[in-house]
Amino acid sequence: MTRRLIILTAAAALAAASAAAAATTDTTITGAGSTFVAPLVSTWTPALGRAFGYTIQYSAVGSGAGIAAITSRQVDFGASDAPLTPDQRKACGDCVQIPWALSATAVAYDVPGAPAHLRLDGATLAQIFLGRVTKWNDPAIRKLNPGAKMPALGITPVFRSDGSGTSYNFTDYLSSVSPTWKAKVGVSTQPAFPAGQGAKGSSGVAGLIARTAGAIGYVDVAYATQNRIRIAAVRNAAGKFLYPSLRRIEAAAAAFPKVPADNEMHIVNAPRSAPLAYPISTYTYVVVHRTSPHAAALRKAIFWALTQGQQPQYTAKLTFAPLSTVKAVLVAAEKTLRTLRPAA
Amino acid sequence: MAARELSLKATGRARRRLLVSRAAEATAVGAAGIALAALGTLLWSVGSRGAGALGWSFFTKAPALFGEAGGGIAPALAGSLLLVGLATAFALPVGVLTALYVSEYARPRAARQVRLWLDVLNGFPSIVIGIFVFALCVGVSLPVVGWGRHQSAVAGGFALSIVMLPLVSRSTMEVLALVPHDLREASYALGVSRWQTVLRVVLPAALGGIVTGTTLAVARAAGETAPLLFTSALAGQIVDWDPTHSVQSIPLTIFQYSESADPNLHRQAWAAAFVLMLVVLVTSLAARLLLDRSRRKLEG
Amino acid sequence: MVTGAAVGGRPWNAGGVAAGSLSADRVLPRSRRLGDRVGDGLLHGVTAVAALLSLLLVAAIAWRVADGAWPAVRTFGLGFLWHDVWNAPLDRFGARDLIVGTVVTSFGAMLISAPLSIAIGLFLSELAPPTIRTPVGTLIDMLAAVPSVVVGLWGIYVLAPFDAQHVQPLLGSVLGWIPLFAHGSDHVESTVFTAMLVLALMTIPITSSICRELFLRVPAELEQGAIALGATRWETVRSIVLPSVRGGVVAAVVLGLGRALGEAIAVTQVIGNFIPLKPSIFEPGDTIASRLANQYQGAVSTTQVAALLYLGLILLAITFATNLAAQRVVRRFERQR
Repeated sequence: MTRRLIILTAAAALAAASAAAAATTDTTITGAGSTFVAPLVSTWTPALGRAFGYTIQYSAVGSGAGIAAITSRQVDFGASDAPLTPDQRKACGDCVQIPWALSATAVAYDVPGAPAHLRLDGATLAQIFLGRVTKWNDPAIRKLNPGAKMPALGITPVFRSDGSGTSYNFTDYLSSVSPTWKAKVGVSTQPAFPAGQGAKGSSGVAGLIARTAGAIGYVDVAYATQNRIRIAAVRNAAGKFLYPSLRRIEAAAAAFPKVPADNEMHIVNAPRSAPLAYPISTYTYVVVHRTSPHAAALRKAIFWALTQGQQPQYTAKLTFAPLSTVKAVLVAAEKTLRTLRPAA
Repeated sequence: MAARELSLKATGRARRRLLVSRAAEATAVGAAGIALAALGTLLWSVGSRGAGALGWSFFTKAPALFGEAGGGIAPALAGSLLLVGLATAFALPVGVLTALYVSEYARPRAARQVRLWLDVLNGFPSIVIGIFVFALCVGVSLPVVGWGRHQSAVAGGFALSIVMLPLVSRSTMEVLALVPHDLREASYALGVSRWQTVLRVVLPAALGGIVTGTTLAVARAAGETAPLLFTSALAGQIVDWDPTHSVQSIPLTIFQYSESADPNLHRQAWAAAFVLMLVVLVTSLAARLLLDRSRRKLEG
Repeated sequence: MVTGAAVGGRPWNAGGVAAGSLSADRVLPRSRRLGDRVGDGLLHGVTAVAALLSLLLVAAIAWRVADGAWPAVRTFGLGFLWHDVWNAPLDRFGARDLIVGTVVTSFGAMLISAPLSIAIGLFLSELAPPTIRTPVGTLIDMLAAVPSVVVGLWGIYVLAPFDAQHVQPLLGSVLGWIPLFAHGSDHVESTVFTAMLVLALMTIPITSSICRELFLRVPAELEQGAIALGATRWETVRSIVLPSVRGGVVAAVVLGLGRALGEAIAVTQVIGNFIPLKPSIFEPGDTIASRLANQYQGAVSTTQVAALLYLGLILLAITFATNLAAQRVVRRFERQR
């Protein structure tokens, strides 16, 4: 008797909950993916709610998981810093990738006794993450930082253990500056790092770096600045050691003015003609199906993100440069966006 | 013989044996002490680090925007309630009915088989159970509320119910075995049919034990993280009671916050752990007391 | 409760027979007998279906994992078990280091946890003063229910720093000449050893409470007889108590081992998520469950998904074998008694 009552009550509650929630599903847009863009999406969410009444539900589960989620249509949009691979494009069917934000990956380190302004370059970074440079007082590092007293501490490289677009960006950079890296590990959202420790999510990496003396890793700039972790100045092709900042990210983007048909942009290691470019910059994409039930709402929301959402009040604090830095990118993004249409 | 006092103090070999015994005792006490101290620091850390961040806003607010202080775990609390409720709704009927089958209807060989495979189910790693439900919910669309093509509280609840099922079943079986046979025989002697005996005599007598067994299973399910990783992880940062949506949950929130670098999130992780531990400890204690009492009542 | 009215006023049949087949047919009216038969059949059927459902779940889970793993089984074959490269972009997968990591971490955890659990069991049944036996015992029982994510949280912020700063250097300096304990990189907190400690802590409550129950069930006469014959406490425990509970203790340890093998969350928080494995346990490592938790969602290709499910299949096989071993030990032990 009691059991019957319990089951009936549970069923009634479920029905009531479904009915109540059904009223809001029209304006609820679900998304998943990149932890890189998560801070920006979280800043956009209340503004989109005010502008259109949309509720954005975004889970930062990593670019890889985001692509998997949008491929199986578990969410309305996926966010990834890594462009779709040919396999993923085929699996996703009618998916398009639209660049919707522009930022960079910082090299964060935690070395007590090291200078506050550490300088590193691509070749040394590759050697560190290959596990060939193992101590902070290695001659290669000392050469880049003349006059600094480097401790004899062991280096612990920290990488992303989940499927990460930030990993893609960092390995993209390492592959372009180090042929050894390109041959041994390559570019991927889940590279097989030969040395170090893994952590899940950008915040996981930031956390691990913060509590491991001698650690060095790659994190999105927003996470590094927000958690006040020291970041290194990286040498670009022009020979300058630069920290990631808005101007330097814009310079990197401006060095690549052409947009290919599938919107896949690589803006790492800008050539010498861009002296102010930060070498580990990247676009990040929103991945959507061309036809989907929420296409109309997605078009409105993403268009807002491409235009209003790029204003300094949302982006500057998180070190995202405006998408309009390269006009062609904005044009291509809007053009791709227009191909979205509601499901039949 | 003269009244010379015999000393009871051990000498020679006996003394050596006594010393060995004392040393062994000391080692055992020391080892136990180390282990108990470690367990104690676990409780102490959760208590001291977690209690500080508790507060009204902690229980009622949604998580703060990136980088901002404050915020709370209201969505996770609501989500956990929903998930555990759904899990219990699936696991309780199936578990009790299975136990009834084993204790009232099954032949000894069949009963042994069911018990064996329930134990096997109990031993399955919960991450594999999560993967199984994920494969079901993404690959198959079933005409059941919220099922198919996406993660949802229904999927998460189902995964948790698989974890709960062996526990509910086993504790119900134990309690049913304690129901005295005289009760059943008296009922049959009065001409009551078998099904009425089971439902109106045996089950009510075992009800106390069933409730406590389920409570323990619920406490276990409330803390499981792995089954939810793939079945209810893509959730938004709002309080959501819709079972067709993915919802937040306390264990997943602790997991995500635990790895971050933000001290504010750390504090919230400890506080959420405090709440979870409190729920788990209180329900375990209450269930154990109730179980002892109902067992004593049945054994009479 | 049953009342005499249920029988419709007729005199009830004395004699206490079990199922109503014998007397009910002659005593009860026909309509009632039909209702009873329908009800009986229905309840029997419903409960049987429920039991079958439970069995079906086991089969469904095993089948789904095996089915998903099949492409990887076909591609990599049994060589998967001893190749040690795990490279997602190149679609090259080998499980050796993950299997070794799983086994080493779990067995290491039980090597730490088993003696400590037996010590606690003895402590709570023999050595402790009666006043603290009950509260400490209840506390241990409750700690068995602590969620693994909370243990992992404690592991990251309390255990791992303590371990990295005090325990690992100490052990490294004493045992560092053995490659297994070679001193690892500086200040590395996330290591195989840390994961072993976390798993040990998770399994100690359940194993020790079972041990305590076993020790309490040893007949008092046996112990008293030994003491009457002049045995010291230690000799009593060693020659009377421990042998009589040996089977149960082994079963409890194997039970804890099964739990440790399948643990994903607490392990992934403290183990460092890195392969290939280095010889020392003071270096980062990884286990099957931890890798599944990290990589399953963001798998780069369908081959990787299948390879991960192959890992899951191996883990199922290992935990199933451990479970069977535990049950066999319990059965042999019960037969002995």
